[in-house]
Amino acid sequence: MAALTLYPESERLPRGERITFNLYMISALLLFVLMMVLGVIMRMGQSLWLDVPPDLFYQVLSMHGAGMVGTMSLATTAVMWFFLRKYVRLHLWAFLANYLLFLCGALCIIGAVFVGRYAGLWTFLYPLPTHAMGMWGNGAAACFMVGYLFIGVGSLLFYLDAAAAIIGRYGNLGRAMGLQWLFGGTIDPDHPKAVVASTMVVIANSLGILAGAVVLVMYLVAIAYPEFTMNALYAKNLTYWFGHMYINATIYMGVMAVYELLARYSGRPYAISRPFLWSWAASCVFVIVVFPHHLLMDYAQPRWVAVTGQVVSYLAGFPVFLVTVWGALTNIHRSGMRWSTPSRLLILSMFGWAAGILPAILDGTIGINRVMHNTQWVPGHFHFYLLLGVLPMVLALLYHVIGSRRAAPPDSGADRLGVPVYLIGGMTFALAFLDAGHMSVARRMSSHLAEWIPNDRVGAIGASLVLLAMVYFAVRIIHGLLRAPGAESTAHAAG
Amino acid sequence: MSVRALLWWLPAGAIALLASPPLRHALETSMTAQMLLQLPLLAVLGGLLAAALPTHVRTALARWDQGGCSGLLLASVTSLLWMLPRALDAGVDLPWVAGAKFLSLPLLVGMPLALSWPRMGFVLRGVVCMEAIASCFRLGWLFLATPQQLCSNYLLGDQQRLGYALLAIGGGVFVLLLGRLIGGRWTLPAGEARRPR
Repeated sequence: MAALTLYPESERLPRGERITFNLYMISALLLFVLMMVLGVIMRMGQSLWLDVPPDLFYQVLSMHGAGMVGTMSLATTAVMWFFLRKYVRLHLWAFLANYLLFLCGALCIIGAVFVGRYAGLWTFLYPLPTHAMGMWGNGAAACFMVGYLFIGVGSLLFYLDAAAAIIGRYGNLGRAMGLQWLFGGTIDPDHPKAVVASTMVVIANSLGILAGAVVLVMYLVAIAYPEFTMNALYAKNLTYWFGHMYINATIYMGVMAVYELLARYSGRPYAISRPFLWSWAASCVFVIVVFPHHLLMDYAQPRWVAVTGQVVSYLAGFPVFLVTVWGALTNIHRSGMRWSTPSRLLILSMFGWAAGILPAILDGTIGINRVMHNTQWVPGHFHFYLLLGVLPMVLALLYHVIGSRRAAPPDSGADRLGVPVYLIGGMTFALAFLDAGHMSVARRMSSHLAEWIPNDRVGAIGASLVLLAMVYFAVRIIHGLLRAPGAESTAHAAG
Repeated sequence: MSVRALLWWLPAGAIALLASPPLRHALETSMTAQMLLQLPLLAVLGGLLAAALPTHVRTALARWDQGGCSGLLLASVTSLLWMLPRALDAGVDLPWVAGAKFLSLPLLVGMPLALSWPRMGFVLRGVVCMEAIASCFRLGWLFLATPQQLCSNYLLGDQQRLGYALLAIGGGVFVLLLGRLIGGRWTLPAGEARRPR
């Protein structure tokens, strides 16, 4: 049996890989800041602190949604690549191709929104994109769909390269996920958790991309031949299969940072176990079939599909979430954890994921969904886990990387202040949304009733704090990434 | 007769047989038979013809087909043409289009694909498979949802039968591939990664 390795091999990046990684992360940080500016503009507009015309509001909402999902995927793809490349041989061209196709897609989406005035939101629902009532042209809708196709094809290339590398090393995807150890046998303690998680993402998100590849092209057909009408319910199911998988995959890619980095700061191995393998195998299945929980309000959907959506909602997120949080807590308990910015961000991400998942599970319950789904409860839950869960995972890796390039953990006074500002801002912002959901404030509305405005203002203040902290993180990290790499710290034992 | 000659004459004879009036009529009486039997058979026979090409021809072609990209591009563009309902109609009605069909599918789809497939890496093969599955779903959906008949030679019922068949084929190929990826034995194309760093 192989020994349990506390710190896997060196993470030093060769020049080409370092430049590509920097391109990903610097682009992602800049896009995060820009998209947050758009978010603050919307909350300010709802608060009546800023005059945002309704047509512009819905354009900004479309850009913010598509931009944030795409950027989150870009950043977490880099997280997955960063760790997976240590165990299997990935090709740099595939990683770079994904980046370039993402840029092409982003340009199409920006052009569709700000030139073509597309405002059909990122979760475009048929027939809205093709029936804009003069608000935008079919060209803009087509450009938006083509942008998604570019981004999806880029991700697919990266996943296929990852699949080839994983199969080359482990024989097939099942063995890479550790399925051979589910019912017995001695688990290889050095089997990388990053490989298990990456394999799950490759399987699940490739299926989502396949659904997207079908429905997006059908939208293009409907734009080219208006006499062709799709079944709106089929279109919605496929759209959400694609969209749901794409954004969920960001959590599973981001969490690799927790698996790989936590042990560096706790000084204690983060062991792999049978429950860990079971949870990833179960989540792989459930996360693929859970998307009907987005369609619980669609009365035309067969009842059994809605029931499946509810039951699987309870099962999909919990297994991985439980083993990860339990594993993280037992890993740091009495470990003499070295607290610095990366380790604080890792623990913040566990909290954000844990707290953010609860409103999601509540909303996945049919009885609650009927009341809450069209309220700001929904943006409350996904902003909670994305802002306080997934994004801190990315930031933790980046702080770790710039620390390793300086052979010292970054932990200045400003860093120590930045994390609580981000946390307080994020909590205020997300809780304002959840409270608005409790008050039945409708979501996706540019104009709000007077009774809702105090809540909007609290949200706007929280969003501004998050933006402030994020601008600091972005400047700090970009400066660190652009510095020439120094001597590698010894296995990052000091973090 | 040498093995190479046999490899040449058998598929060529089969193509001629498919072009003979009784078989051609049988396979062109329904849209489903034409799209799911006649066209794929012609492409497969073209693929078999590739085995009969002399080594020096294959070597010369390989220089123009790095990674299998050129062959794939040629096959994709040609297949695209034969996916159009209008082309299916013309292939039935116009003799010269029928001639083009019986020549182009073996020589410009099957043969280049057979020559290029071994040169393709895992990623390109994966893209081809994903696109093939997605195309089955898209065309199936399109044929089922379109309210009017797309080919003047075939009725709406036939078109919808083809739609269901394409959805079933897409689903079947998808399940097979997924099963193989998760639990199958793999021999990766030459040059693919086999060891960790």
